[in-house]
Amino acid sequence: MTTTEGAARLEVRDLVVGFGGLCAIDGLSVAFRPGTITGILGPNGSGKTTLLDSISGQVRPTSGMVSLDGEDLIDYLPEDRAALGVVRSFQDCRLYPELTVEDTLMVAEDARRPVGILGPTLRLPAARRAEVAKRQGVDGLVGSFGLEPFRHRRVDQLSTGTRRVVDLAAIVAARPRLLLLDEPTAGIAQREAEALAPLLATLHRQTGATVLIVEHDVPMTVSLCDSLVVMEAGQVVSAGPTSEVLSDPAAIEAYLGASQEALARSGEVASRPAGRDL
Amino acid sequence: MSIPAAVLVQGLILGLSYGLLALGLVLIYRTSRVLNFAHGQIGVVAAVLLAKLVDDFHVDYWPAVVLCLAVGAGAGGATELVLRRLYHRPRLIVMVATIGLEQLLFLITLLPFVSPKHLFAPFPVPIHTGFTVGVERFLPGDTFMLIVAPLTVVAFALFFLRSPYGLAMRAMAENGESARLAGIWVKRTSTLAWMLAGVLSAITAILASPGKANAFSQALGPELLLRALAAALIAAMTSFTVAFVAGVALGLIESVLLWNLHQASTVELVMFGILLVALVVRIRSLRSGPRDEERSTWAFGAAAARIRGDDARERVRRVGLALTGVGVLALPAVLDNSRAFLVSRIFVFALIAVSLTILTGWAGQLSLGHFALVAAGAVVTARLVGHWPVLVILPLAGLAGSAIAVVVGLPALRIRGLYLAVTTLGLALLMQVSVLGTPCPRLPLTNWHVCTGLPDPASTLVHRPSLFGIDLGPQRTMYYFVLAVLALTLLVVRAWRDRGIARDLLAVRDNETTAAAMGIRVMRTKVMAFALSGFIAGLAGVCFALVTQRFQASTFDPAQSILIVTMVIIGGLGSIEGAVLGALYLIGIPAAFGSGTTVQFITSGVGLTLFILFLPGGLAGVLHRVGDAAAGVLRGPLSTTSWWTAAPGAEAEAEG
Repeated sequence: MTTTEGAARLEVRDLVVGFGGLCAIDGLSVAFRPGTITGILGPNGSGKTTLLDSISGQVRPTSGMVSLDGEDLIDYLPEDRAALGVVRSFQDCRLYPELTVEDTLMVAEDARRPVGILGPTLRLPAARRAEVAKRQGVDGLVGSFGLEPFRHRRVDQLSTGTRRVVDLAAIVAARPRLLLLDEPTAGIAQREAEALAPLLATLHRQTGATVLIVEHDVPMTVSLCDSLVVMEAGQVVSAGPTSEVLSDPAAIEAYLGASQEALARSGEVASRPAGRDL
Repeated sequence: MSIPAAVLVQGLILGLSYGLLALGLVLIYRTSRVLNFAHGQIGVVAAVLLAKLVDDFHVDYWPAVVLCLAVGAGAGGATELVLRRLYHRPRLIVMVATIGLEQLLFLITLLPFVSPKHLFAPFPVPIHTGFTVGVERFLPGDTFMLIVAPLTVVAFALFFLRSPYGLAMRAMAENGESARLAGIWVKRTSTLAWMLAGVLSAITAILASPGKANAFSQALGPELLLRALAAALIAAMTSFTVAFVAGVALGLIESVLLWNLHQASTVELVMFGILLVALVVRIRSLRSGPRDEERSTWAFGAAAARIRGDDARERVRRVGLALTGVGVLALPAVLDNSRAFLVSRIFVFALIAVSLTILTGWAGQLSLGHFALVAAGAVVTARLVGHWPVLVILPLAGLAGSAIAVVVGLPALRIRGLYLAVTTLGLALLMQVSVLGTPCPRLPLTNWHVCTGLPDPASTLVHRPSLFGIDLGPQRTMYYFVLAVLALTLLVVRAWRDRGIARDLLAVRDNETTAAAMGIRVMRTKVMAFALSGFIAGLAGVCFALVTQRFQASTFDPAQSILIVTMVIIGGLGSIEGAVLGALYLIGIPAAFGSGTTVQFITSGVGLTLFILFLPGGLAGVLHRVGDAAAGVLRGPLSTTSWWTAAPGAEAEAEG
C-alpha cells in the first residue's frame, strides 16, 4: 500500500450489497474523476449510505469492485482504507463523546503518526517531539475552524452543528484523498446548514480531495457539486455533470421532481406526476 | 464404556438448575439489556427465608412457599426500581450495579431475622420419597426438582407465549420504543419481567437448596452463575428454549465429565473451553441483536475533571502530591510491622486497580477475572524467586500477565463488554480451580509436565529475596519496595494517560466505527490495552506474592476479582488517583475497623451501589471537588473567564 499525493480516482464496478434478503445495492457501476466534488442524491432507502459504507469499508459487499487509483479495496479494513486516504464522516456525527475537542483532533493526527508504547513509557524525546508537532497541527485546525472556545469541551456537550465542524476539522487532520460526507447537514439548524456550504467548499479546496457528498438539501448540493449521481433502489438512475443531470427526465422522475416542485412551490400546490406516492 | 444411569440423573438434576437460572438471565437481558449478576441471589434470599419460616417459625410448607415466591417477586421488582435510576447510563454500569446488589442481597440473608438458627439443618422439602438408580440413592429433594422444574418451565412458556403480559414483554424485547408507541406501559412491563424473574429465581433456589449442607451462606457461587451464563450465551441471550436445553446439556456434560475424569480441575478446563467455543460460534448472532450496549459509552455523566489552566488549582495539586509523597515516605517510621504490612497490601491492590483502570476505564472492557492475572504473576514469583533476581522476575511476570490477558481478550476484539465479563469470570474460576491447584499438569497427548501451578496449592511459601544487596525480608523494607514499584508504575501510567495512549483507547471505546474510519488501528489498540493492563497486573502479582509470602490456590478466588472491579468504580472509573483511593478505601477501611467478611461486604456491596447511584465521579470526583474548593479559598471565587470547567451539563453553548 502506498500513499500517493493528490486527489484519488475512485471507480465502483458491478457493486452488489445484500442484507439478508434485501438488496441494498444492485449492480451499481460509477466512476468519479479525481478532484471533483460529486453529490449523491436519491430517496430514502435508495442505497446512498450503503454505497459510502462499501467504499470506506464498514460494509462488505456481496460482489463487485471498489477501486482506488486502480487498487481494489474490497479486502481492506476501514483502517487500511483510511491509510490510503479514504476518510469519511458519519450521519450521526457522534464522534467520541467523552473526548475533548482537542483530543478528538489529536486522535485524527494519531492515525497518521501512531503513538506507540515505548515512546510515552520511557518519555523518549522523539515521542515528545511527535506530540508537540501534533499539537501544533491541532492548534492550526482549532484556529482555522474557529473552535478555540470549545477546545477543552467534551464532544457530547457540543451542539450537533459544532460537532459537524469538529468532524470536518478532524477530516482535514486525516489528510483525505477521497472524502465521503454522509449528510453533513443532517440534524442541524437551517442557519448552521447555510454556514456549512462555504465551509465544505473551502474543505474541498484545501484538501484537494475527490469528494462525495450524500445530501438531501438539493439546492446546497447543486450549488456545491461539479457532478451529480441520482440513485434509486440501489442503482444509478442518472449520473454526469450537474447541469446535465438536472435536466435529465430520469433523474427528475426518480428524485429531483419533488424537490423542484418544492423549490418552485408558490402558494398553490403543484400537481404531482402520476405514479409518485406521497 | 457405558455411563451409569445414576450419573445421567445426577447431571439432569444439575442441568435443570442451570437451565432455570439461564431462563431468568435471558428474560432480564431480553427485556432490559442487563446481564443480571444478582439474579441467583434474589432466589437465595427467598430460599433462606423459606428455611427460616418452616424450621424456626413452624409455618406450613406451602403457605411458606407462596410467601417466599412473593418475596422473590418483590426482591426482583425492588432490584429493578433501584436499577431504573441507572437506565440512562451505559448498560455495563448497570451490570456492575447488579454485582453490588448481589452483595447487598447476600448481606440480607445474614440478618438475624432472615437467617435460620440451624444452618446445617436439612432444607425443607414437601415430599419424602427418594428413589434409587443403580447403587446411587437420590434424596426427596432430587425427586422434587425432577417434578417441579419441568412444570415451572412449561408454566413459564405458557405465560410468555399466551398471556398478554408475555406478549408485551416480547414486544418490548424486540423494540422498546415501538412498544411504547403501541401503548405498552414499558415501565410496568419491565417491572413485571423483573418480578417474574424473581419468582423464577426463587423457585430455582428452593429446588436447588435441598441436599446442599450450607446452601444458605454459600449463596449461588460463581460456578453456578457461570454455567447459567454459558447456557444463556449459547442461546445468544435471546432464545428461552435454547437457553434451557443448553443448561440441561451443560449439567449432563459436567456430570459425565466428572465421572470420567474424577478431577474438578480438568472438568473446569473443559467447561471453560465450551464457553469459549460457544462465544466464538455465536459471535454473529450476539452481534446482530439490538446494540445499545455496544453504542453506549462508559460515560459517567459527571466528568471527574478538575479545573484546568488555573494557577491556584495547580498549586493545590502540587502541594497535595508533595504532602502525600512525604507522608508515605515517612509513614514506616510510625508504623509497627503489622501496620506496615497492611499499608503494603493497600499499595499492591492500588497497583491491581490501576491495571484494571486501563482495561475497564479507558478501553471499556470489563474484566471480572483480573485477579487471575495477578495469580499468574504470583506463580511466576513462587517458581523463580531464589533462582533469578527480582529485577528479572518483575518483567517476566509482567509478560506472563500480558500474554494471558491478550489470549483471554481475543474474543473481545470482536464483541464488547458483556461477553468479556463472562469469559473473564470463567478465567477467574479456571485459574483458581484448574491452574493454581495443579502444580505440574501433564500436557494433553504428550508426556510433558509444565509447572504452571503453585508449587504447593495448599500452602506456598515465598522467601523474600534481596535487591541490590538489600534484604527485602523486613516488613519496612518490603514497604519501600512495593512503594517504589507503585510510584514508578503511576508515573508510567500517567504518561500513558497524558501522551496519547489513553486518548486512542477512549476513542476506540467510545466510537469504534469512527475511529477506524479515521485510520486508528482498532485491533492493535485493543490488544495494546489488554497487554498493558496485563503487564501491570503481572507486576502486582510479584508484589502480592512477596508481601503476602504465604498463600494458596483459594487466595485467588473470583470474589477478589469482583473486589477489584468495585475498587475502580468506587474510586471513580478511569481515574488513576481514583484507583489508588479505591484501594485505600476498600482495603484500608476493613484494616482499620476490623477485617471481618461482613465489613468487607458492607464496604464493597453497599458502597458500590451507593457510589454508582449518588456519586458517579467516585472518590476521585470528591478529591477534585475538595481540591477545587481549596483553590477557591486560595484565590477567591473563580473568574468568569474560566467557564470551561468541564462541569456536567455546562450552560447551553453560544454559537459563534
